[in-house]
Amino acid sequence: MTALTATPVGTESPLVIAPMLIVLAAAAGTLLLGRYPRARAAVSLASGIAYATVVAAIDWYIVLAPDAPGIATYQVGGWPAPFGITLVADGLSAFMLTMVAILGVASLVFSTRHLPGGEGRSYYFPLFHFLALGVTGAFLTGDLFNLFVWFEVMLMASYVFVAYSGGPQHTRAAFWYVTLNLVGSAVFLLGVGGIYATTGTLNMADLARRLAEPAAYGLEPAPVVGLFGLLLSVFALKAGLVPFQFWIPTAYRAAPPQVTALLAGATKKVGIYAIIRLSFTVFAGAEVGVELALPGVTIAGDSPLPFVGAALFVMATASILVGGIGAIGRDSLEGVFAYSSIGQVGFIAMPVAIATTVTAPGLRKLAIVAALVYALNHTLAKGLLFLSVGTVRAATGTSQFADLGGLAKRSPPLAIAVFVASLALVGIPPLSGFFGKFLVFDAAARARAGPVLVVLLVGSLLTIAYTTRAWNRSFWGAQTDAVEAATVDSVQVAVLAVLAVTIVAVGVGFEPVYEFAELAADAAIDTDSYVDAVAPQDASDLIDSSANGGGH
Amino acid sequence: MTAIALAAAVGALFALGTFLLLQRDLIRVVWGLAIISQAANVYLLAMGGIAPAVAESVPILAGHGEGAPQTADPVVQALVLTAIVIGFGMTAFALVLSYRVYEEHGTLDVTKLGDRK
Repeated sequence: MTALTATPVGTESPLVIAPMLIVLAAAAGTLLLGRYPRARAAVSLASGIAYATVVAAIDWYIVLAPDAPGIATYQVGGWPAPFGITLVADGLSAFMLTMVAILGVASLVFSTRHLPGGEGRSYYFPLFHFLALGVTGAFLTGDLFNLFVWFEVMLMASYVFVAYSGGPQHTRAAFWYVTLNLVGSAVFLLGVGGIYATTGTLNMADLARRLAEPAAYGLEPAPVVGLFGLLLSVFALKAGLVPFQFWIPTAYRAAPPQVTALLAGATKKVGIYAIIRLSFTVFAGAEVGVELALPGVTIAGDSPLPFVGAALFVMATASILVGGIGAIGRDSLEGVFAYSSIGQVGFIAMPVAIATTVTAPGLRKLAIVAALVYALNHTLAKGLLFLSVGTVRAATGTSQFADLGGLAKRSPPLAIAVFVASLALVGIPPLSGFFGKFLVFDAAARARAGPVLVVLLVGSLLTIAYTTRAWNRSFWGAQTDAVEAATVDSVQVAVLAVLAVTIVAVGVGFEPVYEFAELAADAAIDTDSYVDAVAPQDASDLIDSSANGGGH
Repeated sequence: MTAIALAAAVGALFALGTFLLLQRDLIRVVWGLAIISQAANVYLLAMGGIAPAVAESVPILAGHGEGAPQTADPVVQALVLTAIVIGFGMTAFALVLSYRVYEEHGTLDVTKLGDRK
């Protein structure tokens, strides 16, 4: 591996760390401005826009521009990988960050108009930015333990948000949410520690390099399959896949709606992102060579992916069915949307499962593109729906179907926006959801996965059923007292309208979005450029250089 | 010998933590969480390998002379330090939350916390 020292160091760019610095500064700034509500909101909004601008710059200069390098790194503190912490921005990270930026700005504008009640209003914006910081860090880090740390940053903010409103049921929801995630964190540590003991590294690029040539590094890689299984269960917990879904309905009901939009639209995607990144960039090339014989099926292979795929198929199928069936019977708007969120994440995980089991590179890429496009659709549509719950609650004081009805007459723009988002969830052309659904079905059909198609079809029918019901119960029919007395905030409706227009725009001008998703999928699969860009050194090189009196 | 002792300790801690997590009393659940996160820390520390540290296994020791103790991998120690800080904060938060639950529900018994709505 002497050639590695001659490898040119990948494109270094301080742009990679910029979004994290912006949200960190925003969190600190809003914390200091606790006594000045207007200044606090202004700083928040300004930093949200700055964040979106920087993410757009990352999109363009690192991924989309004709002469873009496709991937850029930032070695924190100047320590070379794998000894320091590496931040990496590539197509996949950029795609995820873009979703967070769109939803984050929408949610911030929404929040400046109406903060949810409770004692802790002055902590709302700092927490919001810390949540965004954790999500951003998780998307950008190139180090397994650092991923754990950013998960914790994100979770701590979300713990407080779940308990934010301060009622008895919120506290109880928060307690179970905290308990569950702390157990998840311990399991995460077990996986990370085991992988470090097995491979001797935590840097993802170094990990991918060593796992691909276990003999050259003297590794025994078979345990990695089990350790990866541990990590997978943690990521599935964050993504809310069945059987780790049970915390979602209570936690989503307890958090303020504009935060729930972010929880569903952004932090869930961190789980999905981690599954995609670790499966395809890090573990895809691993030579594990183990065999698992179950009654009737034998899973074997050189790569751990078939094992992951088998688990993901089961989880995705169960999510689609449990979420869809659960959503039908709920009695409030956010209840329906929370269960729907479980089902929709199944639709994102299903193409990922397909991608892990197929070996043809073209088909694998198509399946990842399908997952990403569907994730984008889910972020936009579910973000809009949860924000609309906030609007309805701010206007009428309730979101129970029993107290709602006739909202469409009260505020037609609100009704239209929710209608568009519901159609996007169902997958009607020309909305973003159509292409998401179409690509997922396409990937399943090309993989010749008949049972998967049946599951997807049933899931889509369930989606139609619960969106129709939620729409009819709250927007149609006679106006109730609460709806008649309601005053709908125009800025909030404007935010919803902008998101609805975005959903239409993504569907109509789908070509560039598809290209972006393709670049992201390429980045996810292309382990070699990831390793080259991060350029992890060998420990022996460092020893040589320090023996020569070199070093730092 | 150290390895066996550590493995037994980690196993015992996990068993105890899991047992406490399944109790009806919320304070015991918090204890269970604290113990499980400590078990994960001990495990993490053991993952550095228990052997005399040499430059091959711990590159940062190269050029720093001899006399390194056993279990001297600085990486796992840095990891554990971070994990301890996070675990400490979260245990405190869980305790505050359980006090809040007691204030609002008047009980710490999981089965009496009201319906699941």
